[in-house]
Amino acid sequence: MTKLKSIAIIDDDPITVFGIKRMLSTLNVSENINSYVNGKEAIDDFKRFIKNKEEVPEVIFLDINMPVMDGWQFLEEFITLHIAHKIRINILTSSIDPVDRENWKRYMTLTHHIIDYKNKPIQKKEIEEITKAA
Amino acid sequence: MENHITLVGNYGIMLRETLTPYNDYLIKQLPVSTVFVDKKYKIVHASDKWIADFDFTKRAVLGKSLFELFNDISKSWKKDLHSTFKGKARLTGIENFYDTQKNEKWFEWINVPWYDEKENIIGVIIQTKDISKTIFDDIKLEKLETLLRDKSEISKIGSWEYDAVNDQLVWCKITKSIHEVPEDYEPDIQSGVNFYKEGYSRNTVAMAVDRAMTKGIAWSETLQLITAKGKEISVIAAGKPVFKDEKFLGLIGTFKDITDEVLTKARTEEQERIFSSIFNSSYQFTGILDIDGTFLEVNDTALQFSDLKQEDIINKKFWDAYWWPIPDMVKEGLKQVIAAAARGEFMRSEIVVLDKNKQPIPVDFSLKPIYNEDNRVVSLLAEGRMIIEMVEARQKLKISEQKFRALYELSPIAYILSDFETGEILDFNSSFETATAYSKEDMPNLRYADIIPDSSRHKLINFIKEVDSKGTYGPFEHIFVKRDGTSYPVLISGSLVGNKKGRKLLWSAAQDISEVKKKENQIRDEQKLLKTLIDNLPLNVYIKDLESRKILVNKSELVYCGFKDESEVLGKSDYNFYDEKSALMSREEDLDVINTLNPILGKETISIKKDGSLTTFMTSKIPLISPDGKASGLIGISMDISDLKKQEQELRDLINVTSIQNKQLINFAHIVSHNLRSHTANFSMLLEFLVEEKDANEQENIIKMLTEASDNLLETLDNLNEVVAISTNVNLDKKPVNLNDKITAAEKNIAAFLKKNNAKIINEIPDDTYIKVIPAYIDSIIMNFITNAVKYKDHSRDPVIKLTVSKNTKYTILSIEDNGLGIDLNKYGEKLFGMYKTFHDNSDARGIGLYITKNQVEAMNGKIMACSEVGKGTTFNIYFNDQA
Repeated sequence: MTKLKSIAIIDDDPITVFGIKRMLSTLNVSENINSYVNGKEAIDDFKRFIKNKEEVPEVIFLDINMPVMDGWQFLEEFITLHIAHKIRINILTSSIDPVDRENWKRYMTLTHHIIDYKNKPIQKKEIEEITKAA
Repeated sequence: MENHITLVGNYGIMLRETLTPYNDYLIKQLPVSTVFVDKKYKIVHASDKWIADFDFTKRAVLGKSLFELFNDISKSWKKDLHSTFKGKARLTGIENFYDTQKNEKWFEWINVPWYDEKENIIGVIIQTKDISKTIFDDIKLEKLETLLRDKSEISKIGSWEYDAVNDQLVWCKITKSIHEVPEDYEPDIQSGVNFYKEGYSRNTVAMAVDRAMTKGIAWSETLQLITAKGKEISVIAAGKPVFKDEKFLGLIGTFKDITDEVLTKARTEEQERIFSSIFNSSYQFTGILDIDGTFLEVNDTALQFSDLKQEDIINKKFWDAYWWPIPDMVKEGLKQVIAAAARGEFMRSEIVVLDKNKQPIPVDFSLKPIYNEDNRVVSLLAEGRMIIEMVEARQKLKISEQKFRALYELSPIAYILSDFETGEILDFNSSFETATAYSKEDMPNLRYADIIPDSSRHKLINFIKEVDSKGTYGPFEHIFVKRDGTSYPVLISGSLVGNKKGRKLLWSAAQDISEVKKKENQIRDEQKLLKTLIDNLPLNVYIKDLESRKILVNKSELVYCGFKDESEVLGKSDYNFYDEKSALMSREEDLDVINTLNPILGKETISIKKDGSLTTFMTSKIPLISPDGKASGLIGISMDISDLKKQEQELRDLINVTSIQNKQLINFAHIVSHNLRSHTANFSMLLEFLVEEKDANEQENIIKMLTEASDNLLETLDNLNEVVAISTNVNLDKKPVNLNDKITAAEKNIAAFLKKNNAKIINEIPDDTYIKVIPAYIDSIIMNFITNAVKYKDHSRDPVIKLTVSKNTKYTILSIEDNGLGIDLNKYGEKLFGMYKTFHDNSDARGIGLYITKNQVEAMNGKIMACSEVGKGTTFNIYFNDQA
């Protein structure tokens, strides 16, 4: 398994972040895992990467309900960034609101990136499947 | 002449002053012929010229009277002198006399009164001028006197004379009037000749004049003149030359207008001709008999009728004529008739004669005596007029009268003949009898007034007037009284006819209109029923004409239009009631219906009246189609569905509210599920880790996290409880509380917090402000907004919170204005009051405060509005419902 250059976790819940990081560490897919407590922090960082010609994380774990900038708002901005290669974005949420699923489907059509949707809690096996370069 | 007058005038003045022999001498020398005459016509002074003029040189004139000197002076001159004595200022005239040689002399004279010093008239001063030469240049013309004095007036003979020496033509007044020229007309030979009608008359007279001058021959001819006015007249023009000492001096002549005689003669000839043509071409048989019955003349009509010739009849006896039927009785009768006519009786009778084919022909025969000047019958005029047509016409008349009789008797219309003056009823037909039950026996006692009810007698006056002025009356509706006293309605008319005796008769025709009346009443009842029905329909009903003017409205429509009386609405269009836009729309609908003939059915329309009030109608417009297939107007039926529409809107609003609430509930459920799930997911994940974890430190770490997760779960549950509590406590009682008391209490509670943040509260709420709220909620609400305002302060400045209050009809509005960070409402507006929504990077933001606050305000039937500008601050307006 080829290692990913970097992974980003965007979630305001420290326990979730802890959990994902722990699972990813056992999978040993990347040395470079960063976490952000809301979409704003993440998008600002990504914009900086692009500006500095650094690479944007190849896989992103994204929570929906977050303060300041939630998952959807993040996606709205993210898809406008000029990133030529495909990024894998895994939406990870405990919401079972059908509206959220609708939103996911809509965003899938709006971008060339791969967007996946999973409900919490997530199993280690699932993580493995969805943590690979797009 | 002028000089002459002036001279006399001057003399008058001078002579009045002096009357001495010296003057006498002066007068003698006057160059003008002058004579002074006293009141006895005696000559007092005379100028030598006067004496010479009048050839008195051999006679003593002074002291002689004018009558002695002039054997006879004309009456007119005498009269003139007399009026001069009486003061008549000045008179002129012309007179003639014969001198000693018996020559006729003409003079013109002027009389002026002769005054003494005392202004008394003592005589006349006469000035004369010998004009004999002027007029005739010594020519004595025959009848001159007559000429100038118009003495020929009676005989209507005009005269003229021509002075060849002076080439002067003179016409007398009559001559001028014959020529129809004005009195001041001055003729000459050429123009005189030109009055003769061109051709024979003018040539004749020209030749006659020529012969008179050259050969001395007189003439007298009947000739035609064309007068100045273009009238052709006949005259006897006569003339003769005058010679003296064989010298041609001139012509004299006369005119006699004989136009009337010529015309009369022509007329007599014409009459004879006309008479003869009438006599012969008349359709009547005409003959003239002598008193013994012998034919003197018979006309062509009579001859042609019997195919005879003049000689078959003339000089034969009247009764022997071919056309009489054979019996001798007829002959004898005719003899007697002629004898009677000869005695002066006018005979007339209808007889039958035979035509050339022996066919009997009815003739209206008359025999009229003709009298001479001595009133004696000299002949008889027999006339016969064929009366076949008349006899036939009489027959026809008889038939048509029978027809009329039949109609008269059979007609369903009652006919009454009455005397217009007396009202007597003279005849009526059977229809009248049937209708009124009167019979012919009643007639002698029946008057027109009897068949008219007392109540309407007064109408008779107008009726009589109408008949008097027009000769006819009606038709108008009236009432007839039957024999039994009951009455029935009639439509009567009539006309006045005069009979031979000059009696004014009135024919009246009366049609029984009981049925018509009954029908009318029926229709009226039906109309009334229909009107009542239409009026009481809970619908607006109207009829419009092609111009969209209302020609019928029911009560509902009338009330809707805002009027009490139909007349205020009828004839008006929608433009009088609606605002321009509604009226225009309505007119377009009308036109569409009228033009296409397709009705509009159940169309929902909104009409705005002039006062701005709005009504929703369910409108139908149905074309009224006239017999020619075109629309003559439309019927409109509108149902006011404003209330229905309002209810529908309310229902829709309610559904909206419910669906919003429903959405909120679903949203809430999802939030709850999300929150609970996120915690349980954590538990599950952490527990899994714990099971697998061998490292004690790490295990402890996981357990710590589990504890944290558990705390979070509890907090979430608390929040949910709080929300659920609000939602379930909607029925808590609201009480009025003093707003400032609550604010003061909240300030006290968080005094330390405020102080720590250096926050300042400016409270501008009046102390007497009370709001109706659930007390527990208001504490929480105030606390929440104030702490929020401080929590989300702008770190570049100290927080300032301003509290104000305002009221509207339904709400007391508390405004909380801060100078904090502000929120981008375009971005977050929707989520501002959402659960677990936070908008600032603030660690203690839980995203539950505004959600709970909003729920509390809404639980009290209030609402919250926010306005905000990032970097400046936020204002929350909290609406407390004062009513419910």
